[in-house]
Amino acid sequence: MHGWGVAQRIQQVSKEVLQIGQGSLYPALHRLEYKGWIRSDWGSSDNNRRAKFYELTVAGRKQLETELATWERLSAAIKLVLGQEAQA
Amino acid sequence: MMRAWLSRMRFLVRQTLSRRKLRSEMDDELEFHLEQAIAANVAAGMTAEEARRQALIAFGGLEGTREQCHEQRPGWWMCTVAQDVRYALRGFRRNAAFTITVIATLALGIGATTAVFSVVDRILFRSLPYAHGDRLVSIGLVQSLEKQEFMLGGFYFDWRDNQKPFEAVAAQGTMLHACDLVEANPAQLNCIQAQSGFLPLLGISPVLGRNFLPEEDQPNSPRVALISYGLWQDHFNRDAGILSRQIDVDGSPTRVIGVLPKGFELPTLQAPDVMLPMALNEGLERKANPGTPMRAFARLRPGVSIEQARAEMGPLFVQTRDALIPPPLRKDFHLSIRSLRDRETQDVQLTAWILLAAVLAVLLIACANVASLMMARGEARERELAVRSALGASRGRLIRQTLTEAVLLSLAGATAGIALAEGLLRVFLAMAPTGIPFLSKASLDLRIVLFTVILSLVCGALFGLLPALQTPRAVALAAHAAKSRRRAMLRQSLVVGQIAISMVLLSGAALLLRSFANMEQQSLGIETQRVLTARIALPGFRYNTAQKRMQFYLQSEAALRRLPGIRAVSFSDSVPPGGWHDARRYSELAVAGKPRPEQGIGGSVISRGVTPDYFQALNIPIIRGRNFSEADRNGTEPLVVLSRLLAARLFPGEDPIGKRMQTGHDGPWSTIVGVAENARNGGLTEQDVPEVYILRRSVVQDWGERAQVGEGISGAAPVMIVDAALPPAAVAPWVRSQVAGIDPTVPVKIETLTEQVNKLADRPRFETALLGFFAFCGVLMAVIGLYGVIAFVAAQRTQEIGVRMALGATRVDILRLIAGEGVRLIVLGGVLGLGAALAAARLLKSLLFNVGTYDPGTYGLVVVLLTLVALAATLIPARAAMQVEPVEALRYE
Repeated sequence: MHGWGVAQRIQQVSKEVLQIGQGSLYPALHRLEYKGWIRSDWGSSDNNRRAKFYELTVAGRKQLETELATWERLSAAIKLVLGQEAQA
Repeated sequence: MMRAWLSRMRFLVRQTLSRRKLRSEMDDELEFHLEQAIAANVAAGMTAEEARRQALIAFGGLEGTREQCHEQRPGWWMCTVAQDVRYALRGFRRNAAFTITVIATLALGIGATTAVFSVVDRILFRSLPYAHGDRLVSIGLVQSLEKQEFMLGGFYFDWRDNQKPFEAVAAQGTMLHACDLVEANPAQLNCIQAQSGFLPLLGISPVLGRNFLPEEDQPNSPRVALISYGLWQDHFNRDAGILSRQIDVDGSPTRVIGVLPKGFELPTLQAPDVMLPMALNEGLERKANPGTPMRAFARLRPGVSIEQARAEMGPLFVQTRDALIPPPLRKDFHLSIRSLRDRETQDVQLTAWILLAAVLAVLLIACANVASLMMARGEARERELAVRSALGASRGRLIRQTLTEAVLLSLAGATAGIALAEGLLRVFLAMAPTGIPFLSKASLDLRIVLFTVILSLVCGALFGLLPALQTPRAVALAAHAAKSRRRAMLRQSLVVGQIAISMVLLSGAALLLRSFANMEQQSLGIETQRVLTARIALPGFRYNTAQKRMQFYLQSEAALRRLPGIRAVSFSDSVPPGGWHDARRYSELAVAGKPRPEQGIGGSVISRGVTPDYFQALNIPIIRGRNFSEADRNGTEPLVVLSRLLAARLFPGEDPIGKRMQTGHDGPWSTIVGVAENARNGGLTEQDVPEVYILRRSVVQDWGERAQVGEGISGAAPVMIVDAALPPAAVAPWVRSQVAGIDPTVPVKIETLTEQVNKLADRPRFETALLGFFAFCGVLMAVIGLYGVIAFVAAQRTQEIGVRMALGATRVDILRLIAGEGVRLIVLGGVLGLGAALAAARLLKSLLFNVGTYDPGTYGLVVVLLTLVALAATLIPARAAMQVEPVEALRYE
């Protein structure tokens, strides 16, 4: 998926809640690539334009899982704290 | 239509992107994103222009994104380093005076420290090249005539069996002795005897073959030898079959059983060519008095200190001494146990520490100077930093820039410093006295180069960073009087410290210089001009009887006498004023008709066996009686001449001429024929020692074996002293050819007496020159520092000066104002330094000759000198301040 697609997708999936700064998307993508979590290839887009496509690597997928797990724990904890405070 | 539309859009985007000519993949990627966004906006019904505008807004800063992407790249900061370096270099070029001063200061500090440390490292710090070197000790006896520990056969075996504090004890011979390798390609070598336990004690194993077996270290066992690596390499061409070879040492066939490691040195710091077993006869040694002399070494048991060992050995020493040494002599023998390091380097340790302290002082001054310069530069650049920070440079970036500059300066300084160190080391080697061990092997030590570079880096970076750290929010554009005053204080205290330290260095150097001048100007009591000494080492193997040796020497004497321009030729066993000489205890001398002096008191007396021409050759006047005559040489009666000092002691108020005396316990009774004037005979700095001259007659027993301990090589080698009317350079070849005419194979070592005296002064010359050089560097840097501070203060106060002048201050007032600042620093630093110098001078005490450690003249001179130089450094910027035009000063800023 190319950068533009990623930006569009985030917007769609989050139902326009997350308006990602398009400018800050690319540094993030590049950082992930340097870390080896995603890799890129030049291909042609739907309208036959040369575009850079990104995909997750194996390491990236693993990283994603750990990040997700961390996030789950964190958000669950926050939920707990907030829930208890709401009760109190 | 669609195509045209697309290309038009691409143009729109490219216009935005291609502000830089550089087209990269990143640009392609961003271009694609924008195209998509614009296309989406157009599809939503916007005009082409509007679509592009909205897309750019949604995207945010294009250039910023590009930079951020760029910064994600690992190692991205490397590029900024290059940028920083370029910027720094431009800055340096703009400010050449600053750059050169900093680099020169650093080079001096790094260079001098590295060179000196490389020299003293082995003396003071590096571990000895033996296993468990820190537990090795030299053990033995000392007495008034021999201050280095020695061991006697009887003591050795008694102690070996009964001692407790040591793991192992072993001995080597007292000294190297000349020996001959007899074969088709003969060579004269240095041999040493050692016990079979000697190499294992040191933890040394042969690189080839094996050590002596205990049974080979027995009398009458077949002769075996270990040879040095050098001999194996140079003489035997690294012959792998050496171990099966027989060599002929001094006429006895000897089997080589091993090769010593490369660079092996005895604990006495000598390198032997051949090591032979000592092969002592234990039974005989135990009964013998005094037994074979040797040098013994031991390894302490783990955890046993030298003091403990000394305490434990005390009773054993007394017991053996009482058993083996006759009562009258006992009082003069003492037990001595020293660490091996002390045994090797004790007499140069003080010099080494003083040099190290001096060079560290120089390094300190250099660091203070660099710090001060960097601070001044930092302050002068506050405005620039503020502007850069206002333009968006982050604090980290500013710090990195400053660090880059400091590193660059340090690297340049280090490079120059290493070159300087290499040069200095060569100078040290060229002028160093022979007595400093390991010096010839000193080489630059990379660890210390690294240490000094890091130290100077820290100095530079720390103080260079100060302004950068303190510039968070364009502070510098505002007034900052308080902060700048605080920093000025810091710089001033640095200068005070520099002046104080250079004061210490300068007074130390001045004391040594005076002492050295005293030494050079003293009267030696002997003629040194146009006097040659020739040492002829007769191979003991061929000249194996005293008869042969005497014949050779008398023949060469006669041959030299025939030469034109030779005024006197004499033989003596030693040459004043220093170096080795034979000595005996004062209490051994006996005068006929008087009671023998009490045992063990009176110190020592030098004895010299000389031929009659000795006094003429060295121009020592005979003040009473007469000199030995040529006729006396063939007489049978033993004759002596006393020095004035000895005559006054033995015969107070009497005429010694014609009296008879004994020059040793069992020596012959000799008649005193004359009294000679005193001559310097205890070295250049020691007191004169009483001296007895014994006539060396032309009889065999007067040419017997005599140990030349001081030369490190034994052998029957009297020194020939030649007084010529012609320059030594002309006479030396004649001497050589005459000796060669008698036996072309014997080596002749010719030296002028002046050279020998100069050599004695080598050590003090070395110390004085080095300390003087360091003091000079220290003062120079301190003065530069002082100048810098005063110039800075003057520049900062230009406006104030203008106001004062406008209000009626005269130029002299201004001069007083600025110079007063400098004078305050000089006085403060000078007083502190004088105190420290007086305290430090005690360290120099043992190096000084005829100068008190608190010599007021020297200190007065140093104070005046330093004050004058420092005042000059203050007056230059102060004068500049004085000449400021008020109008211009008020316009300043």
